[in-house]
Amino acid sequence: MNSTSDSMDFSSDRYQRIARALFERAQPLLLEFDNHWRLIDLHGDAARFGFDVDNAEVAARQLQDLFLGMPLDQSIDLPFVEMPNGRSTHVQLLGADDGFQVLLLDAQAEHERQQTQQQTGNEAALVSYQKTKAINQLRQIRSELEQQRVRLQEANALKNALIATLSHDFRTPLTSIFGYVHLLEEESGQSVSTQHGLRALRRNANYLFTLAENLLEYARADTRSSLLAPVAIDLADVVEDLQGMFEPMARDQGLEFSIELKMIDATPALLDELRLRQILVNLISNAIRYTAKGWVKVHLLWNDKTLSIEVSDSGIGIAEEFQEKIFVAFSRIAQAPGSGAGLGLSIVKRLVKQMLGTLELQSTLGQGSSFRIVLPNLDKSVAGELEKPAEPLFPNSGRGRSVLVVDDDPDITFLLEALLTDMEFQVRVVGDAGAAVENALANPPDILLVDVELPGLSGNTAVFRLRAKGYQGYVLTLSATPTEEARKVAMNAGADAYLTKPLNIEQFTQAMLRAALGSRER
Amino acid sequence: MTVAARKVCMLGDFGVGKTSLVTRFMRNTFSDKYLTTVGVKVDSKLVDCADQGSLKLVLWDIAGNSALDALNMSYLRGASGLLLVADGTREASLRTAIDLLLQSRSLLADAQAVLIINKLDLVERWEVLPSTLVELRQSMPVIETSALSGDGVEQAFTELAKRLLP
Repeated sequence: MNSTSDSMDFSSDRYQRIARALFERAQPLLLEFDNHWRLIDLHGDAARFGFDVDNAEVAARQLQDLFLGMPLDQSIDLPFVEMPNGRSTHVQLLGADDGFQVLLLDAQAEHERQQTQQQTGNEAALVSYQKTKAINQLRQIRSELEQQRVRLQEANALKNALIATLSHDFRTPLTSIFGYVHLLEEESGQSVSTQHGLRALRRNANYLFTLAENLLEYARADTRSSLLAPVAIDLADVVEDLQGMFEPMARDQGLEFSIELKMIDATPALLDELRLRQILVNLISNAIRYTAKGWVKVHLLWNDKTLSIEVSDSGIGIAEEFQEKIFVAFSRIAQAPGSGAGLGLSIVKRLVKQMLGTLELQSTLGQGSSFRIVLPNLDKSVAGELEKPAEPLFPNSGRGRSVLVVDDDPDITFLLEALLTDMEFQVRVVGDAGAAVENALANPPDILLVDVELPGLSGNTAVFRLRAKGYQGYVLTLSATPTEEARKVAMNAGADAYLTKPLNIEQFTQAMLRAALGSRER
Repeated sequence: MTVAARKVCMLGDFGVGKTSLVTRFMRNTFSDKYLTTVGVKVDSKLVDCADQGSLKLVLWDIAGNSALDALNMSYLRGASGLLLVADGTREASLRTAIDLLLQSRSLLADAQAVLIINKLDLVERWEVLPSTLVELRQSMPVIETSALSGDGVEQAFTELAKRLLP
């Protein structure tokens, strides 16, 4: 087959058919101009390309603009030029000696096909670009959020560490205060005013301790659960303390204050006393703070191994829309003027939950509020290591047993020495972990009473090293850190029991009693 | 008196708003529907350059592309001015505009150029930094525009027209 154009016979029928097909498709328009762009002649359908043959000058100008700046003595080919009527056209300038010939070929169909393809491609590229950009922005946001989260975590950890440190610093002197108050209270022959003063001292120390506990409770809640410490509580004592603590405040404000206890169940309440006191102190102090006139009433009912508490007042009340919000930390509502960090009720809610209880609030704005709490008796399953029902105290049961006290605080060591000597223990004291290890190995005591927070090596390290060297005595660890994690660390190091500061004297003596009897708790 | 005419080509990546800028400049209208340009559309407008006189701009709105191929080069022939268009929200389109300018120099060594950074109405999403524009202004006029609102459009075309006046 011969396919070259040289061999094509332009007069053949085949060529004629091809030429006719091309002609019909391209609908050529040939315009002939002289050297001054005056239209001389045209061949084809001028209207198809938007040219008005009756206004040849305009048509000429439009075409002239197309070739502006170009060498007109050369052939110029301009594909896909949009004509004034919007039709896409291939434009070709054919220079001649005596003027110009401009050939226009219809390219609309081809233009539409190409435009459809390019439109799709370009839109896809733009969407892809936006998508990539959005993904990158999301990555950036995620990265920033992550950095922010880390910063907040660090800040939170710092805050918790600060509060925990403060709490520890509170607990250590409070241990001294409570201990010495106990010793003084035990002494006989005190005057009425001294007894009164000691009660006031204990009451205010309790209050200070509760305030410090509120902060610590807030700080530790988000990271770990606190250790429940159920003890047999003398609710009458609690009521007496609360009466003593709040009656003067209420009286100063001209409020009627009453606190009533009904003991229907004969068995003693086994509850976490510290938390119970925190709940009551927070609720009562709030009630007094937000009651300008009228009364604040507290009812405690111990029945069927359940403690029901109701603290009601005739105060400002809480609008319905705020009744959820008041239990959120640091959200003291606008209607309530006055001081306070806005922690109290959030802590009450948390403590009630920790003690497996329920909390209800009934309040009417302007008429007063009533908080109702129900706390079930806590049994051994929720108790910590030493939180067992109270046993009879045998003060002399330490007779003949040796105790090595390891604590760096001279006030505490003096107090412990006094308490233990009263119990007829043989007491010796050292101030740091190294001395403790040396002393205990040289002359192993029956009981090692060790504080965790010591200068240099920790008390836990001392216990671990002693156990590693075969020490078989009973180890009672003391710490100002009241968390389950801290207790586990101490027990893993080799302690038999773990007590937190400030020391509950009753718990402490019971623990020492068990230690003396050699009852291992591990 | 015959008014001088100059050919100006719009160059830039696809979707940067070349056709929208010409439409705003020519007819003061805007359509937010994106329609890809294929080939070229030629328009002309007389620009009043105040004391400096008037100039007829013959505007070649050339299909957007990231590089100049033979077809685009054929459209550039005879151009005296270039309006380089970039999309402020796509930094890559600015690099394309600069690339196109450099490529066009082989054919149009002396053409005047004005750089348009379009889509000023979306300035909060711009990727092009102000510091980049400060740097670019040291080598050519840079004008921020919005074909949508019309901001800067007249100024950009007039700026180029002034530079093309005989």
